[in-house]
Amino acid sequence: MPSSRFPIPQGTLDMLVLQILSLEPAHGYGIAQRLEQISNSVVQVNQGSLYPALHRLEEKGWVKAKWQPSETGREAKFYALTAAGRKQLEAERESWAKLTSAVQLIFDEGGSR
Amino acid sequence: MKKFLNWFRQSRMDGELDRELQYHFERRVGDLVSQGMGEGEARGQVNREMGGLTQVREEVRDVWLTRWLRDFVYDLRHSARDFVRNPTFTATVVLSLALGIGATTALYSLVDQVFLHSLPVRDAQRLVLFDWTGERVYGGFGSYNILPYPWCADLKQQERYFEGVFCRAALTVHLATGANASPAAAEIVSGSYFPVLGVLPAMGRLIGESDEGLTGASPIVVVSHEFWQVELGGAQDVVGRKLMVNGKPMTIAGVAAEGFRGIDVGEVPKLWIPSAMASYALPPAMPNDVTRERTVRWVQILGRLREGVRLEEAQAALRPWFRRMLEEDTKLANFPKITAERRERFLASQMELSPAPQGHSRMHRTMTQPLWMLFGATGVLLALACLNVAGLFLARGFSRGREIQTRFALGASRGRIARQLFADSTLLALAGGLLGIALAPLVIEGLIAFLPQNAAGTALRSAVDARLLSFAFGVSLVTGLLAGFAPALQAGRGAALASMRERGGSGGGGMRLRRGIVTAQIALTLVLLIGAALFARSLGELLAKGPGFETASLVAFGIDPQKSGYSKDAANRMIAGLQEKLGGVPGVSAGGMATYALLNGGSWNNPMTIQGKTRFTTEGVAHLNAVSPGFFAVLGARIVAGRDFEDRDRRAGGESRQKVAVVNEAFAKKYLAGQNPLGVLVGVGSGTNVRPDFQVVGVVSDVRYRSMREDSEQVYFPVTEDSYFLGANFYLKVRGNPEAVVAGVRQLIREADPAMPPTYFRTLEEQVKRSLSMERMLATLTAGFAVLALLLSLVGLYGVMSYSVTQRTKEIGIRMALGATRGSAVWMVLRDALVMIAAGIAIALPFVWGLGKYVEAQLYAVKATDPLTIGAATLVLCSAAALAAIVPARDASAVDPGEALRGD
Repeated sequence: MPSSRFPIPQGTLDMLVLQILSLEPAHGYGIAQRLEQISNSVVQVNQGSLYPALHRLEEKGWVKAKWQPSETGREAKFYALTAAGRKQLEAERESWAKLTSAVQLIFDEGGSR
Repeated sequence: MKKFLNWFRQSRMDGELDRELQYHFERRVGDLVSQGMGEGEARGQVNREMGGLTQVREEVRDVWLTRWLRDFVYDLRHSARDFVRNPTFTATVVLSLALGIGATTALYSLVDQVFLHSLPVRDAQRLVLFDWTGERVYGGFGSYNILPYPWCADLKQQERYFEGVFCRAALTVHLATGANASPAAAEIVSGSYFPVLGVLPAMGRLIGESDEGLTGASPIVVVSHEFWQVELGGAQDVVGRKLMVNGKPMTIAGVAAEGFRGIDVGEVPKLWIPSAMASYALPPAMPNDVTRERTVRWVQILGRLREGVRLEEAQAALRPWFRRMLEEDTKLANFPKITAERRERFLASQMELSPAPQGHSRMHRTMTQPLWMLFGATGVLLALACLNVAGLFLARGFSRGREIQTRFALGASRGRIARQLFADSTLLALAGGLLGIALAPLVIEGLIAFLPQNAAGTALRSAVDARLLSFAFGVSLVTGLLAGFAPALQAGRGAALASMRERGGSGGGGMRLRRGIVTAQIALTLVLLIGAALFARSLGELLAKGPGFETASLVAFGIDPQKSGYSKDAANRMIAGLQEKLGGVPGVSAGGMATYALLNGGSWNNPMTIQGKTRFTTEGVAHLNAVSPGFFAVLGARIVAGRDFEDRDRRAGGESRQKVAVVNEAFAKKYLAGQNPLGVLVGVGSGTNVRPDFQVVGVVSDVRYRSMREDSEQVYFPVTEDSYFLGANFYLKVRGNPEAVVAGVRQLIREADPAMPPTYFRTLEEQVKRSLSMERMLATLTAGFAVLALLLSLVGLYGVMSYSVTQRTKEIGIRMALGATRGSAVWMVLRDALVMIAAGIAIALPFVWGLGKYVEAQLYAVKATDPLTIGAATLVLCSAAALAAIVPARDASAVDPGEALRGD
């Protein structure tokens, strides 16, 4: 149901990718599939925009890439989190938590009136 | 910019990205198909999901580009900090580049303005110029590509090939808006001129087809936008106003569009005159209705090719018409009387077309070769500067070797370091380019001042426009890349070597590259030096030979009474009166007069018919002039045989009186050898009907007439009442300060008639200087370039030599410890320099040989391969180079063996 899914907020895609990669290294298609599953088909990710994000993360040194055989036997480019990436993920998780709780607080106040 | 940056992107990255995306695509399609979707449908859906593969690819590339740019900016900052820390290095590099770029940009500006820039008219690319090649029997007025006016209308009939055809003649008129007249450039044009060019009026109307054929009855002019703004104050009511053109009233019909400056970049007209009124502006010797005269050449004809018609096609198509027309011409009553053989050649002559998107300009002809040559010289200078900077970078690269090695060790890629070096050189080149552009207008102004034509009368500008900016920017960028190329190459290769070689080795690949650079510099410098020496010798020869007369304390000025509306009688009275009064001006000791001026590029010339022992006509033309008695004496020309003109010769050939002529030595030698020249009869023209009835009464020593270069055969006639009307050039011998005399004479002319301005006023020294301006420009500029080139390459040589000595200190020390003499140490270093110098010379000489034919036309009394000049230039180079090498060599001899061995 595309209409019931909302587009992913700007900037959160990078964070989600880091989160997925924190579990285990994966290739682009694997990440896309996991994104679908994790977000329970609520968040709509344009699969195309995944790749600029991956390369951006690679430029920043948060992930590193390696070509290796995939589960189908074909070579695929696998991305893995670096130490810097792990740190970044922690930082983002924290600030995300802060942000959501702050937003929640505002909504709660508004509702109690 | 993006394209340029993309160039750097490695294709390997592209390939990997494609593989990565392909993997995703196929996996997804496979999954969908296994879920029961048709293959085609699945592909469509995946494409939609991914938002188009091309799109994704572009987005990923943007990510890369951003990184590249970020890193490059970082590199630039790094470079900038580095340069601030090394001010001497930075200043040397920026200055050498500014020099090269500034000079090249300035020359390019002139090259562009004089012969690359198309006219600012509609579709200038389709404009062509008509020319007549072969035996052009008709005489005429004007210079270059002149044709009879009626041809214009004939060519208009060839509608299949030409959209339109127009003709024009450039000349100078006396123009007065108030009481005082002054000389102004004007163009006589056919009614088709403005329509074919596609020029519109800014106000009023332009000259059109309706003005055609109204001989003498259409006294209107069109003025240029600039003239309207500057000299008429931009007044709104100028249409209908009267101007005095050559003393005759003409009405302003309109103002031409802004920015249109005629079709000659060398002579910008202030006004346009319809051909019907040509007689107002042309010399009185021309026939009454020149627009109908088929045997007088005086206009340039240009046309616009029809869309899709090729020039060769049109030229071939004109052949039958042209031949028919020439045949018709021979039946005309006023067709010149010529021999049957000449008539054959006349009928075999051709009409030729050439592309004319830049219009027609005398300047194209005279300046093309010199300007290209100078442009080439600046290119060489730029290459030298570039090589120097490359050498400096190499030297610095080695002194920074440790830093670079460290960065390699830390994992920086080769490309990363090469980019750093590129950033360095680009930054410096742009800085040099900026400085160069700042210098360029000054240089251009200097160049324009050097030009033979009066700069005020030309459209040449020193302003830097967008075109020039982009040229300079491009040159700077290319320079930067080239200068950075060598060090970058070295960085890529040197890394592996450097880490393995121990320090203090005797110079590896870097040295070889630097030696190569110095050798190339020496070769380029020698080419410039030889060029400069050739031009200097040419100028020297011309100056040494001189004009054939005394220039000291001679002042010349001209008047043109006809252009001030004088009738023949009035002109005679005016000139006679002036002549009388001139003797009374304080400081004037003697005076003479000639109809045509000396050394201003033009002459009255014609073949001559000679009646000596036999009757014959001269092969080429003789240069003719009418002069007053005493003219030769004022110039200091000697009468070597016979006599000067006398007052009694002045009367225009009365019935009984013998008409007389004086010939110069060159004429006597070429045509009257083996007989007494005195008493021989000569006549003007080569027709069978010419009567040789001027008796040679004297032979005068040779003087330069048209130009300083030309030794010509000359014939002089006495001035007569008829010739006065053509104008007069006075030559005055003055005592004391010429300035005071000039003021006195000007006053005299003003009193005689304020509406008749002198056409020029200058000392003969100035005149000679003007006549040699092209030679002077070439000699001065090439000498300047050569000196700069020499300095640049000596700096390069010195740098390499002293570096090599420091590198080899240990080796030299060991040799000395083993008993080598100081002399042999010096020799060891000098030998190195000599090899480079010798190789440079060996490379340069074949080039000099090959380039010689391009400069030959600009030389005088010296061949391009003159061994003496080449030898002298080589000697200068060698001694300067030896000087630059001797300092490092002395350092080598001063090496203390003990010190050197302990050193490490």
